[in-house]
Amino acid sequence: MAKFTRDMVIDYADKLLIGLTDEEVQMVLDEFEVIDKNIDLINEIPNISDVTPMTHCLDNFEFELREDVVEESTDIDDLLQNCDSTLDREVKVPKVVEDNGIHE
Amino acid sequence: MDKYKVLIGLEMHCEISETNTKVFSSAANTYTDIPNSNIRPVDMGFPGTLPVVNKMAVEKALMASIALNCKQPEYIYFERKNYYYPDLPKGFQITQETKPAPVGIYGELKYEVNSEIKKVRINNIHLEEDAASSDHYSKYSTINYNRAGVPLLELVTYPDFRNADEAVAFLEAMRSIYQYAGISEADSRKGQIRCDVNVSIMDSSLDEAKEENWGTKVEIKNVNSFGGVRDAINYEIERQIELKRTGQYDSMEQQTRRWDEESMSTIYMRSKVDAIDYKYFVEPNIPKFKISSEWIEKIKSMIPVFALERKEKYINEYGLSNYDATILVKEKSISDFYDETIFLGADPKLSSNWMTTMVLGYLNKHELNISDIYLTPKMLVDIIKMIEEGKISSKQSKDVFYKVIEDEKEPSKVVSESGMKQIGDEDTIRKIVVEVIEAHLELIEDYRKGKNVFDFFVGQVMKATRGQANPGITARIIKEEIDKR
Amino acid sequence: MEYMNKTIEELHELLKSGKVTSKELINESLERSHEIQEKCNAFVTIMDDAKETNVTDNLLSGIPYGIKDNYSTKGILSTGSSNTLKDYIPFFNATAIENLDKSGAVPVNKTVMDEFGMGGTGTTGHTGIVRNPWDLSRMCAGSSAGSACAVAAGVYPYATGSDTGDSIRKPAAYCGIVGYKPTYGMISRYGLFAFASSLDHCGVLTRSVKDAAIVVDNMKGIDKNDMTTWDSSNMHLYDSIDGKVTGKKLCYIKELCDINMYPNASNELKEHLSNFNKALDKCKSLGMEVCEVSIDKTLLNALASVYVVISCAEATSNMSNLTGFIFGPRGEGNNYIDMMKDYRTRGFSPLIKRRFIIGSYVLQAQNKDRYFHNAQRVRRLLVDEWNKLFEEFDAVILPVGSGPAKHLDGSLDILDSNTTALEEHLQVGNFGGFPSITIPDGFVDNLPVALNITGKCYDDINVLNIAYALEEAMDYKNKIAKEVK
Repeated sequence: MAKFTRDMVIDYADKLLIGLTDEEVQMVLDEFEVIDKNIDLINEIPNISDVTPMTHCLDNFEFELREDVVEESTDIDDLLQNCDSTLDREVKVPKVVEDNGIHE
Repeated sequence: MDKYKVLIGLEMHCEISETNTKVFSSAANTYTDIPNSNIRPVDMGFPGTLPVVNKMAVEKALMASIALNCKQPEYIYFERKNYYYPDLPKGFQITQETKPAPVGIYGELKYEVNSEIKKVRINNIHLEEDAASSDHYSKYSTINYNRAGVPLLELVTYPDFRNADEAVAFLEAMRSIYQYAGISEADSRKGQIRCDVNVSIMDSSLDEAKEENWGTKVEIKNVNSFGGVRDAINYEIERQIELKRTGQYDSMEQQTRRWDEESMSTIYMRSKVDAIDYKYFVEPNIPKFKISSEWIEKIKSMIPVFALERKEKYINEYGLSNYDATILVKEKSISDFYDETIFLGADPKLSSNWMTTMVLGYLNKHELNISDIYLTPKMLVDIIKMIEEGKISSKQSKDVFYKVIEDEKEPSKVVSESGMKQIGDEDTIRKIVVEVIEAHLELIEDYRKGKNVFDFFVGQVMKATRGQANPGITARIIKEEIDKR
Repeated sequence: MEYMNKTIEELHELLKSGKVTSKELINESLERSHEIQEKCNAFVTIMDDAKETNVTDNLLSGIPYGIKDNYSTKGILSTGSSNTLKDYIPFFNATAIENLDKSGAVPVNKTVMDEFGMGGTGTTGHTGIVRNPWDLSRMCAGSSAGSACAVAAGVYPYATGSDTGDSIRKPAAYCGIVGYKPTYGMISRYGLFAFASSLDHCGVLTRSVKDAAIVVDNMKGIDKNDMTTWDSSNMHLYDSIDGKVTGKKLCYIKELCDINMYPNASNELKEHLSNFNKALDKCKSLGMEVCEVSIDKTLLNALASVYVVISCAEATSNMSNLTGFIFGPRGEGNNYIDMMKDYRTRGFSPLIKRRFIIGSYVLQAQNKDRYFHNAQRVRRLLVDEWNKLFEEFDAVILPVGSGPAKHLDGSLDILDSNTTALEEHLQVGNFGGFPSITIPDGFVDNLPVALNITGKCYDDINVLNIAYALEEAMDYKNKIAKEVK
């Protein structure tokens, strides 16, 4: 297992679109060390990999899907009242360059 | 070309257009020109909002899964695909990964290409939400969230296609299935269909069963028309063969490219090394959901007979040509219309002729759908029957057809109002026939000598009746009257 | 005459009999709010224009209360104590708030919390640290710090909270009041700013068990906007409390409660555990059976990391909607990535940023199984252990934390490898969605300490009843914080 390094922390921060100070980077590494040790302990639990990960709080929960009934659209003034930059009925952003094709 | 074998796989995205609401919100799933007018708070990712799964969207997705002969899971889950993009308001897309359980895995579909039946294996089909759409201006972009949350089906095939024809034929078959099943209009002009194409080439001499022989996979993203899929595949095959020829193929990385409509070429985007890690995890706000066998059975019973099967019936039972049958099944609304005329007693071949020439000719010329015009199957059957019963001539029937559509009137009304009625009354026709014969008695002799004067008499009768005399009855009476003399 | 130190039942009687008006209560509550704001910095917003409501048969009608600032409140600033939402005014109410509104309850302020609930100190909110009303040099714990502070200080009888790890139950303990989070899904999370969706619970902070039952009765209910809610309409919490607990079986966990487990125990811890033992004696004298049980130490020691891994992973995704484009102050920059980065870098506190990095790391494809999935696996093992206890016992009873409120200085909210399971065990209640309530069980150094009672899912009535009986048998109910230093 590759160790969590300073460069990795900075790279992750960058991908999360947040900036970190040097001190904050070190704090992440310190906190992470504790977690890593605990995960080592977890890995010592016999047959841990056979356990089904618990993804939801109530695991055996029965629920209903929503009926396909339209609810009225939210008023445009409400939708945009907290937006700092709009154009007519739309949210205005800096020009998005179309070389991404990020959607899959 | 034979030196290499081409392997093509498709990822086909198709919006589910036939639900009332979006997949995780109760905002309307309809197209509108007014930006941000089909919005519930969750569609713009307002803090505290939660996704709520639309039963109908799941039903349509399961229907597609069943149509593709996929295995449906006991429980379905949704997952988050995390990445940042301005048109992704929550910062993640709710989708399904192959683990734990999308709506369908491991299916296969038969489709026809150049009159040959082929089979493609489906890796999985899953239900997800569409992103918002943006408009780009010179200095800024604007975002309209109406499309955010629209249900989207993504299916992933194995690389079973060997050329662009097969890939496109499959896409057409899928479009037909989506339309037939009432899942989607599947209209690429409305941006409802988007494809990613995987292309690789391998030396024909190698064993195809081994995946390591498949060559380096190149993914081409954002191909938004079937024509584009064909062009992109052909371009990419040529490009890769050229790399082989010039010895550069082996250094080519697995990569993602995009199809550029303007330059008609694929353009490098990123290598696999730079692939985004989407940090998938199970969406905790959507509890796992059990798919009951009762529900699956109910959905199965709702799936219509698809085009390929209908076509076989038209050819084998109705005796239609492959060509006509293909035309008739192209759109379900046309095929349904045709089937209805048969149900109402029309002769399959006559009805087919009417459908393929008159009906489709009219629709194509005016760029209309069959539901847009006044004509119903019953009306078409009425017209066909009026010809059969000799009430109108086949020449008149065409006028009737157009008048029905354009004046929006029942065929019988068109006929009576325009005085277009065919003269089927025997006495009236006999009277005219007798007049015509008596005016040309000299021809009777010619007739007896074996000369063909019959057509002349028919012509004269038609002339006298301005074409309204029933041709069958006219012919019979002429014969009778000549024989009398 | 002071009213805000009274219980809901008492206030309702006074309102009903006309001895006090809703208006008077609101005025007193607002006055207290300003006093406490001065001393403890408990509020993001004080609603000086709060309007009285009609007094009905509903116990909450006309009575003021506080709302944690991560509940979406229509037309009222809702920040989640984060600079990212420092000016955000929602256009809709959280379902729980809407329900309280219908009951005639009157919100008078929005309370400070750890930013988006991610913290246990009450020191990371964007408006500054919250001080403990018993001792201004100590913390309230978090994240529902302002709510706990205000209820303890007698600003009103109750305030809403949210609990992802122990964010209601720990501050309740530090402030000497009752903190109750019902079974997951009993109260809708719609409109609650998400921290970690599979762990987030709505709940309440009060000064008595009955008040907690009354408030949750009015907050709960199945919600079409939250798929994880369930129908509890036949559960009447307040009406079901009868104090009859004879024959109930409780257990406590040796590895957490035995003083011999802590060779370097502080005096505070010793007193705290001795208080707990006295409470156990009370339970026995009430006719309950109390047993010691053992849980694998590996599991208990893993607990805190399991929580950090799961909560950070879900949080980094949940807070991806914070882009500054649709809401929040728009960042500076020439393209959307720079703008978003500026907004997020300036908007989030260092603590949250660090948690995001961890959350992101554990979700990366190459790390996901080792960290995230293993954490989810241990989550299941822990929940299974507790559920096994619930087969035999009505509830698990445990001390909360290792003593009274910690000092504000030197208490930076970082993970400490010395953190004991004793500090973190309440998180199991979030792992399993168990109903869980903290009640005060005495004083250490004149500062309140508490115990917790946790039961099996949907068994809220039983948990409340045990807590009520014990509360009645002890003398710490409805205590108003008296500044001791």
